[in-house]
Amino acid sequence: MAGRRAAIKAIDWAAFAERVPPNQRPMFNALKTRSDALSARLAALPEKPPAIDWAYYKSAVAKAGMVDEFQKKFSALKIPEPVDTQTSKINAQEQEAAKSAEEYVQASKARIAQYEQELQKLKSMIPFEQMTFEDLHEAFPETRLDKEKYPYWPHKPIADL
Amino acid sequence: MLSRLVLRAAPAALRSLPPPVTVGVLHATRPLHTSKQHLAPLPPLPEKGGEVRHGLIPEEFFQFLYPKTGVTGPYMLGTGLILYFLSKEIYVVNHETVAAVCILSILIYGIKKFGPDVAAFADKLNEEKLAKAQAVKNESIEGLEAAIEQEKKEQWRVEGRSYLFDAKRNNIAMLLEANYRERLLTVYNEVKKRLDYQVAMQNLKRQKEQDHMIQWVEKSVVQSITPQQQKESIAKCILDLKALSKTAQ
Repeated sequence: MAGRRAAIKAIDWAAFAERVPPNQRPMFNALKTRSDALSARLAALPEKPPAIDWAYYKSAVAKAGMVDEFQKKFSALKIPEPVDTQTSKINAQEQEAAKSAEEYVQASKARIAQYEQELQKLKSMIPFEQMTFEDLHEAFPETRLDKEKYPYWPHKPIADL
Repeated sequence: MLSRLVLRAAPAALRSLPPPVTVGVLHATRPLHTSKQHLAPLPPLPEKGGEVRHGLIPEEFFQFLYPKTGVTGPYMLGTGLILYFLSKEIYVVNHETVAAVCILSILIYGIKKFGPDVAAFADKLNEEKLAKAQAVKNESIEGLEAAIEQEKKEQWRVEGRSYLFDAKRNNIAMLLEANYRERLLTVYNEVKKRLDYQVAMQNLKRQKEQDHMIQWVEKSVVQSITPQQQKESIAKCILDLKALSKTAQ
């Protein structure tokens, strides 16, 4: 009986649901309904089938050896357990997911570093009251007027005024 | 004319002198970056310009003359100079003087009356520009912070991926277990069905035999009734009936 019951871990569906991003919610709901259906089906089936009353049948059936034969064959019968083909695939998927998650976390950290850098630059800026136009163009390069492309005042297309 | 130049040159000369130590510095001189080493931003511009009396004469002139002539010194000097120009006809009074007086009086009246409002308006324009720039900066900061929060949250979400695989494995285990139980149940049901069939068959056979036997016995009994016996039984029945009818009457 050791290999029979693969441990069914208790899953905290509430915590799981928290971590699901909103664009994957339908998939999560489908998974949950399937899990619930499976667990309902499992709960409906009895763990062991009821025992057959051999004594009654021995007394009832006239044919002599039939009941004994049935009983012998029945107790000798070994029902094969269903073979688990998918768990290895799941484990492989898990490995892949771990790897891609690593990459994602790395990229995310790089993005965070970039944001932090820009945030630092913005926070350590001199206040606008003390800036000259040169300082402004240094801090915000998009405010710099392109004097080569538009040599005449106001140095930007009229529509942008 | 030369004296006018002298008058104009005096404040400039005064400004280049170090400010007098006695009274507090009202006009801070701005050191300019002449060497390459200064990388710090410039100190902010002073809020107000240099103090001026009567709109024309800087305060430093009065402070300059104060030690020697007291408070009324510069005024005496001014009055004396004006009287000197008028009396010596260095400044000639003609029609342009009248025009100057009229124009200057109107100008001064206008400036005194509307000056503060115009200044406030100009300040407001400037404030708006600054406020707009500040708003843009604040928005950028908030956006960046929100983005950082979002990234951290996504990282936290990614950490929950183990749930998914646990759920999948659970599903598989449940499925296998359910199938196994189903198989057990099927076996039990089949065996029971067969045994019950045997029992039912037996019962049916016995019942059929019994019925047939009863029928056969009845038939043979009926057949064995000979005509002689029939006549006797009919006569007996008639006698019985007569007796009964007699008792009934």
